[in-house]
Amino acid sequence: MLAINMEGFKSKWHAEWQLIRGDFWLKALLFWLPPLLFLTFWYIFSASVASDVKVGVVDLDKSAMSRQLVRYYDANSVIAISDEYDDVASGTLALRGGEIYALIVVPVGLEKKTIKGFPPQVTAFTNGQVLLVAKLVNSALMQAHGTFSAGVDLFKNMANSSPEIKQAFAKAVPIRGQITPLFNSNSNYGHFLVTAAIPAIWQIVIVVTAVLALNASIKAGQLHTWLNGTPILTLTAKLLPYTLLHLAMGVAFLIFMYDLLGWPMHGSWLILLLGQLLMIIACQGVGAMLFLIFKNASHAMSLASGYTAPAFAFMGVTFPSSDMPLMAQIWRNMLPVSHYVELQIMQANYAATLMQSLPQLGWLGALFTPLCAAFVLVILTDKANQHQSVEC
Amino acid sequence: MAWLQLFRLEFRAILSDFSVAFTIFGGIVAYSFLYPLPYSNQVPREQHTVIVNEDGSQLSRKLERMLDATPEVKVVKRVHTIAEARTMLLSGEAGGILVIPSDFYRDLLLGKSPVLGYAGNASYFLIYSTVVEGMAKAAGTLGAEVKVLNHILSGDALPRAEKQYSPLQLNVKPVFNSTMGYVNYVVPAVFVLILHQTLLMAVGELSSHQNHSKKRSEGYWLQIPIWRLLIVRVLTFGGIYALGALYYFGFAFEFYDITRLASPLELWGLIIPFILSVIALGVVLGQLIRRPEILSLLVLLSSLILAFSAGFIWPLSSVPPLLVWLTNLVPSTPAIQSFLMLNQMGADFSQILPQYSLLWLQTIGYGGLAYWLLNRRDIEDA
Repeated sequence: MLAINMEGFKSKWHAEWQLIRGDFWLKALLFWLPPLLFLTFWYIFSASVASDVKVGVVDLDKSAMSRQLVRYYDANSVIAISDEYDDVASGTLALRGGEIYALIVVPVGLEKKTIKGFPPQVTAFTNGQVLLVAKLVNSALMQAHGTFSAGVDLFKNMANSSPEIKQAFAKAVPIRGQITPLFNSNSNYGHFLVTAAIPAIWQIVIVVTAVLALNASIKAGQLHTWLNGTPILTLTAKLLPYTLLHLAMGVAFLIFMYDLLGWPMHGSWLILLLGQLLMIIACQGVGAMLFLIFKNASHAMSLASGYTAPAFAFMGVTFPSSDMPLMAQIWRNMLPVSHYVELQIMQANYAATLMQSLPQLGWLGALFTPLCAAFVLVILTDKANQHQSVEC
Repeated sequence: MAWLQLFRLEFRAILSDFSVAFTIFGGIVAYSFLYPLPYSNQVPREQHTVIVNEDGSQLSRKLERMLDATPEVKVVKRVHTIAEARTMLLSGEAGGILVIPSDFYRDLLLGKSPVLGYAGNASYFLIYSTVVEGMAKAAGTLGAEVKVLNHILSGDALPRAEKQYSPLQLNVKPVFNSTMGYVNYVVPAVFVLILHQTLLMAVGELSSHQNHSKKRSEGYWLQIPIWRLLIVRVLTFGGIYALGALYYFGFAFEFYDITRLASPLELWGLIIPFILSVIALGVVLGQLIRRPEILSLLVLLSSLILAFSAGFIWPLSSVPPLLVWLTNLVPSTPAIQSFLMLNQMGADFSQILPQYSLLWLQTIGYGGLAYWLLNRRDIEDA
């Protein structure tokens, strides 16, 4: 019995490879399209850190000090003072039109007031609509401004009361802070987003490939004939070649990110591979289930799109999952990629142990359910088929 | 065939194709709730932070309380070593660490400006920036208090001393999204992309499906001149998506409390070339790609790339010029940029003219291409 099954499996397995070779889009999805997308992602963020973000200035003071202050802002690598405006109105117009990401307004009498000890207020309007850029500009300006005002303070203190530089400095800056970005030490935005976007695309590819692959061998209404009395064997032989190819692609993007690009990977490749395998099986289950419910590629594809397209928003990488409402958390947990990305971050960034990774692995394992559902569906279809044959 | 009959046939074709109908109606309605869902709390608050206080003075405990009082940070635990704090970060119990060095109070009194350690989990940028912001705020306030105290000690009057904690101040004010909320940030752009992607899929799938349908000789789409087919298609899908746009930019924006600075007239002026260009591109794709499911797959796979290179997430100046150029071939890029400027940032209509004319250019270009492809199909059939 087992021997016969082995033979059956072998022939189905070979047939599947033949099918892949003959299908342009399956080949595209399995071999060249995803790598092309991954590379495009990396290319978008290849600058890694935002630099020379355009910022405009309205210098109403036009003093030596105000010019020096603007030079201080400009010296920061993140921002570049690109334009000077004569009045606030024209600066605001440029900000509204997206020509600049922030507008700095230096008030009249900046120099005088500073010297007299009545602190003037410089105002910087940032474009909160582009939130990330606004945050980057904000911290760049704060930093530049902090250095400048500490310099002014230091100078005043040395002139007035504390001729010793150390004391004068302490008076200017009584408490200092040293900021350490843990696990992504150069605050590389490319690294941060690309490592999350690639798995999101990968999830789409796995789910969709399962739909297309099943569609390729099951023509309308012929599921029974295809199953041929061996539902479990047939479906396993069908999906297994793809499992292996997806895993190869998973390994390939890991090597691309953590070896070729040299982004730090501190953890265990073995745990990561186990996670990838579980992720693939869960996604294949979703794709297979969707196809078997509808037995129609474009219907299943519409739902697969609906399921995978918003995944990135729910992954919790850009917006912390702990701040999501319950409904969002439930939906998030139903997406294999949210757990996989967590696992990937834990391995690459913190080298978590197997024990620490159990929750994520457990979730990925629990998401086998769609695959089980797919198997139940084929078994039921097959049973119904046998009944029909008997009746005939 | 009468016009009215044509519209009825086109509309019936949309409704009877499950994937087209699901993409349009399911897509527009479901996504209007699903996409904003993860961000509905707008701003990450009370990020869990652990404190390593090596000082233990009264003042250091005051700093702890001040930190806990900021909206950004919630102090969840005090531990003795940095190693313990790190473990908490790894397990996800905390997102940030504040290290108060030993002799913090003494050094402050001696004027040695002690150094506080702020650390955050930069694997998650928003968590990181939030905790660091909270820490800098608390330390800044304490630092200002110390400065004021020093000024008073050296003989200044209190009102004057209070003003002098910084020789010149910087006030950073976010505008257009003044609360820096995530819904206001993501949703306006993503809604444009959703309308774009679902419309592209729906038009493309219908065109592709009809093109390769077995019953093609009977199809109404083959019995009428191409220009009439294009008009019917544009008006039917355009009508549905005009309602969709009304729902998104009207009801949904109101519901999520998102800024609407554009006047209705300006907004419609922009919606029209946007919808037209997308329908034209949809027909082109439908002619080029034989299988409807492949078409939706390609649209699906392009979504993240189109979103990330449209300039609202990552500054356009940092996106490689080649990609900026390529993505400008797709209506979503100029559409997202011009909708954001017009409706979110209150730009003058004259300021969006480059993007606006690009949308019309795409309408003409893809419209012509669609006509040519449909015409070629007829010739091949003959």
